[in-house]
Parts: sequence; structure tokens; C-alpha cells
Amino acid sequence: MLSERIAAFVAGETGDGFDALAGEAFALHFEHSPPLRRLAAAAGLTPETLENWRQVPLIPTLAFKTMKLAVAEPREIFRSSGTTNATPSVHHHPYPELYRAVIDATFPRALLGNLSRPPMLSLVPSREDAPESSLAFMIEHVLASWAGEGSRTVAGPGGVKARSARGFLAARQRDRRPTVLLSTAFALVQLIETLDRLQLSFRLPVGSRVFETGGYKGKSRELDRPELLAALERRLGIPPTMVVTEYGMTELTSHFYSSPRDQRPGHFAVPPWVRLRVLDPETLSEVRDGESGLLAIFDLANVGSAIHLLTEDVAIADDGGFRLVGRAASAELRGCSLLSEELAG
Amino acid sequence: MIHDAACPEALSPPTIAVERHGVFFTSAQWAPESLERLADHLDRVGARALDRLDPARLLDAWSRTVGRFRDPASAESEALRPVLTRFCALSGGGLDAALDAVLGGVDRAAAGRLFTEARNREATRPRPASRKRGRLVAVVLAGNLPALAVQSLLPALARRRPVLLKSPTSEPLFAPAFVRALVRAEPALEAALAAVTWRGGDRALEAPVLERAGTVLAYGDRPAVDSISERTAGKCVVYGPKASLAVISRQADRVRAAVGLARDVALFDQRGCLSIQAVYTDGDSRALATALAAELAERAASWPAGPLDPTRVAAVQQLRLEARMRGLYQPALPLASGTVVVDPIPQFRPSPGLRTVRIHALQDLAEVVPRLAAWQGRLQGAALAGGPAWELESVLSELGISRCAKPGSLQSPDALWHNGGLHPFDALGASSQDAEP
Repeated sequence: MLSERIAAFVAGETGDGFDALAGEAFALHFEHSPPLRRLAAAAGLTPETLENWRQVPLIPTLAFKTMKLAVAEPREIFRSSGTTNATPSVHHHPYPELYRAVIDATFPRALLGNLSRPPMLSLVPSREDAPESSLAFMIEHVLASWAGEGSRTVAGPGGVKARSARGFLAARQRDRRPTVLLSTAFALVQLIETLDRLQLSFRLPVGSRVFETGGYKGKSRELDRPELLAALERRLGIPPTMVVTEYGMTELTSHFYSSPRDQRPGHFAVPPWVRLRVLDPETLSEVRDGESGLLAIFDLANVGSAIHLLTEDVAIADDGGFRLVGRAASAELRGCSLLSEELAG
Repeated sequence: MIHDAACPEALSPPTIAVERHGVFFTSAQWAPESLERLADHLDRVGARALDRLDPARLLDAWSRTVGRFRDPASAESEALRPVLTRFCALSGGGLDAALDAVLGGVDRAAAGRLFTEARNREATRPRPASRKRGRLVAVVLAGNLPALAVQSLLPALARRRPVLLKSPTSEPLFAPAFVRALVRAEPALEAALAAVTWRGGDRALEAPVLERAGTVLAYGDRPAVDSISERTAGKCVVYGPKASLAVISRQADRVRAAVGLARDVALFDQRGCLSIQAVYTDGDSRALATALAAELAERAASWPAGPLDPTRVAAVQQLRLEARMRGLYQPALPLASGTVVVDPIPQFRPSPGLRTVRIHALQDLAEVVPRLAAWQGRLQGAALAGGPAWELESVLSELGISRCAKPGSLQSPDALWHNGGLHPFDALGASSQDAEP
């Protein structure tokens, strides 16, 4: 089965190469995805004529709002969070085991380093509270696979449970066990605001670190990233060099991690089963090295829905990875005024 | 040298030289104290000056000033238009059309009607003699459209209220240029008008102005207007983000409708609250799409799009690709000319801009009402063509739509337009209101 062979490739086992798997993935989509086949037909492309992965038609992330793209019976349904009145992206995912394989291949390397089963504090709602969140799926797997004694989830439908979080942080300060904090940027701000209000600071053990993802989409409160990093150091004793950012989206199975120690802010590394292209926004042809453009991601792990995805993000290809430089303007109301946060794409 | 402030010289703060978009200008550096002095002066001295000013002279000065800004050959236009194209990200043709649309709505005839109504109101509801303070109107402007300052300035002057215009930092030059020209036409206005700018959200800086003003009109995005509103309880009118659409009956002349729709889509590069973002029709949607695409191509020749913002282009590319995946009808058009898609899903979805329109086919035009219900209070205008479309006017009004017009006229309201459903004089009333029902 193709998804299993891709999982083996993700796990680093020898076998099929990237190009061969990409060709098979396209053939699978050509057979089972009428929308993809429509695009391919317009380009005169078939599995027989495909020469390389770059030719595979781009699927816009917007398609996840209006179409069911699964090429097999979905076993998980992930829905994006968003703003009031927004249409969510829906990822019908047939291969959750492939998602787990991706997490196994990336998370420990990016976050754990030499930590063995550290206590983890999750500010991400559990699967029980957020059954259609791809992030909750990921965090559940992380906690089940690598979290040590004392780990807990302190988020619910009402937000961060501050008292429980404080208890965890105080315990780690006492027992000196380095910890991993798993959170969206917005939940981190909630936690910091609580600690600010209580004028409470912790000195978490050296080696403690933060996994941060998600940004502030749909939220009214924002904190500049440098402010957030400074606040984490001030309130938790975790320096900016120990904050790892994840770039991911509901529409993708793979995700990307920053490496805060390599002095390239906003730089994300690309794993071996992913290729990326940076495209001229107007022509959708590839830009020259060093130029910014729309980020297109070819993700073998997304074989269940869309392998060649056109994102709305603006990026620059950088040393085998990419650097994000902007987000696309989504549809908004115009009020003889400027942009609104009331998205409705 | 261009200056980003217009106010009585004695009250002008220190300035610094600034370069933005390749334009050099001087920028006034406001502090809470200098803004407080300015607001106090406008409210006291300016109000008295307006009381002494003959309305006929004021109307004449207004009309001559508007005429100079509409005339591309005037000194004011020659100085300002090249600068505004850069600050507003419009092409030269696009800017000319935008200025003509906005200024045409406040020309001598329209202003005259407003002044007459002001006179009638004063005759029936005279201003209380005891009201010596709080006549100042503070207007917080948004940056997406040029020349919007005139839409709030004219009613305030007609009601003899001094005005402080706060321009956005993204376009700080039109309002002071207009105020200076108006003061040249009628020097008695110098004490009553100011146009200034500062980075919005500076609470300490804004406090004296918001406190002194009797009325605050706030245009902008949701967080900005909410922030102002919460600090000005009882005297703020908010003009927040809204969207507009068109309803075209099968009885309407398709070509004429398409010509008008193209104007209402392309004007301001689709950045206005009256810019059409979606079209509903019970006629031949493909034929209407083809006709609209052809007219958008024509418009692009006379009003080319401004510089394309990559992030906005990205959103349009998403829409185009998604439409191709669904096999939707999409007449060929260059990206900069616009995008037209016939979408069978009738749900109203705001356009990502760049003259992008979804056309939705309906069996019966009345079906449009439930499709828009979720957007009640966030809709601004509707272009209507054909009798059955106009029959919907009252139900559309119940959804909060404050302006219905034939295609091609939607984006050209005059000075008496009830923006957000509120008469411009009522917006100047003392009580706090939100122009979104």
C-alpha cells in the first residue's frame, strides 16, 4: 500500500525514493480525485506523461474549504479553527498512521534532544475537547509517546486552566526536571497574562523548552513575537534559544520546525519527504533564489488528500528550508476602512 | 514641501522631514499638550468663527475648493495626485476616477441640498444657546480610500461644527491639502478646521482630542474602531467594515448591467464598502459573467489596477485555482483586470479583492435574502437592476443595506447618503451610535 511505503520512507527506512513515490502518489490522485484530474487534463498531464513532481498540479488550500479531497475513506476529519463566520478548512484524512509517522520522525529530533520522557505541560485542548483539531491529534500522540511522569493538559474549552498550570510549573521548579511546554502562541499569551496579573515568575530548570505553534488567527489579542519571547524568559526562565516554532496547517500532514539556535529567525527546515517551491504570485512560476513568493509544498505524507499544495504564505527559499515573510490577505469586509479580522474565506 | 498637517500656525507643533513611497514631506510631531491646545482652540474659537460665517459664503468656498480638487489641471491636483497614487496604491486613472466619484458626491449641488436641510433643521430644532463646549467633531479616518475626509467634513460644516480630521498614517496628505485649500477660499475657516495625523492607538495622545470632542466619527477596521468606541462612550459613531453586492434580474439589460457592475467593482480597486463583491442573478449567469469580464477588461484599460499586492494576488490565485478544480465557468482575464467566477454555491463570501467577483445563479431572486441573513448588519450597498430586483429593496434594507442604486451608481453616493443607515446630521448628534444596525 502506497501510504505504508511512504510511512517507511518518512521513517528513514530504505526502499522507494522520493521521485518514484511522488509519481505513484500522482497516479493515485489522478485515479481517485476528479478535481485533480480536471487540473491535470487541462495541463495535458497523465501519470504516463509526468516527468517530475514539479508538474503535479497545485491544489490551493482554499479547496479544503469547499471540497472533500480524500482519495480513500477518511479515518480522521480535521477542521481548522478560525474567526467568527469563517468557513473552516476540512481535511478528510485517510491515513492517520502516516501522520503519526511524521510526528515520530520530526518531533523528538526538533524538541527533545537529550531529554528522555520529560514532564510535559500541554496548553492545547485534548482530543476529547477538540476532536477535529489536527494539533490536538498531534499533541495526544506526543504525550502518549514521549511524555514523562507528571505531564498534564491544562487547556479546555474555556482556555488555559491557570491554577493547574501554576501547580505544574511550581512542581518542576521544585523537582528540577527540565520540562517541555506545548502550546499555541495565543495560549502562551493567556498564560503569560495570568502570571503577569499575579506577578508570578518561575525559574524552570535549565534545558526546559517550548513548542509553539499556531499564531493568533482569529484572536483579538496579540503580542509581538519578541515580546512573547521576552515574557517567556521573564516569567518562566526559558530563554529564546529554547523556543521552537512549528509551522503547520490543517491542510498538510507534515509540519516544519524552526531551529532557534541557528541564528536564522523564522527559518524552517524541510524533511526529506517534502519538497518546496517558491512561486511568483502572478505567474505561479518559480522565482529565482533569494526572491520571495508564494510557498508551494509537495508533501508525500499528504498522499491522502493533496500532495502539491499552494499555500497563501509568502516565503523565501533558504538553505534547503524556507523563511516565512508574510501571510496572504484573506477575504475580508471593506468598510471605507482597512482590513478586518472578520474573515470569511 | 508637502505637509501632513493643516491647522492654525500658532498651534502647529515642531516638524520633521519624512520620506515615504519616495515622497518627501514634513510631518508634525504631536504631543498630548499640543493636541489639547488645538482641540480647545477649535472647540472655542473655531465654533465662534463658524457662528459668524455666512452659510452662503461657506457653501461657495466649499464648492470652489471641491471644483479645484476635481480639476486635474489645478495646482492642487498637480501637486497632490502623483503623491496620492503612491500612498493609495492606485493607478493614475484609478485615482482620477476615485476622486471624481467621492468629490462628485459633495459638489455644489449636493452641498447645497445639505446646507438647505441644515437650515431647515436649525429652524425647527435650534441649537441650545447654552452649548458652548463640545461642538468639536473629531473624525478618525481610514486609509483605504482617497478623499473620504470630505464625506464627514461637509455635514459638520453645514451644521457649523468645528472639525479635527485625523488621517491614517498610510495616507496622511489629502485631508490637510483639502483643508488648506478650503481655508484659502474662506480664511474665516482657519480657526475651525484642522487635519492632522499620528499613529493610531496612542491612548495618551488621543485622550485630549477624544475628551474634548462632542462627537467622534470613527472609520476603520474592527479593532481600531472598537478601541476608539470604548474610550468615547456616548458620543462615538462607528463606521466599521462592510460589504456590498448586486442583484440582477433576468429582465434587466445584461450589457448595460455589466457596464455598471464593472464600474462598481473596479472603482477604488474594490476597496470600498460600496464595492461590489458578489452578484446574484436569476438570468443567464454565464452570459452575465462573460459580459462583466469584457467590461472589466475595458475598465482595466482606462482605470488600470494599482500596484499588485503579492498577498492579495495570492488570495486571488487561490480562488482561481479552486474554481478550476470545481470546473466552474471563469472567463479568461488577466489577473490585474479582475476575476469573474460563476459559483453555484450561493453562500455570500467576501471577495479577496483585485476586482474579483463571484456570480451566483438563483432560481428566484427572493432566495438572495436568506443567503445574506448571516451577514445582517455587515452589508452596506446593493446594485439592483430590473424590476424584480428593485422589489427586494425593502427586505435588503432590513438586512442593514443602507444604499440601493442601479449598477454603475452604487459607489457614487451624494452628501445626503445615510451611511450605515444614519443621516449624516444624526451622526453628529451627541448620543453614541454604531452605524451598523
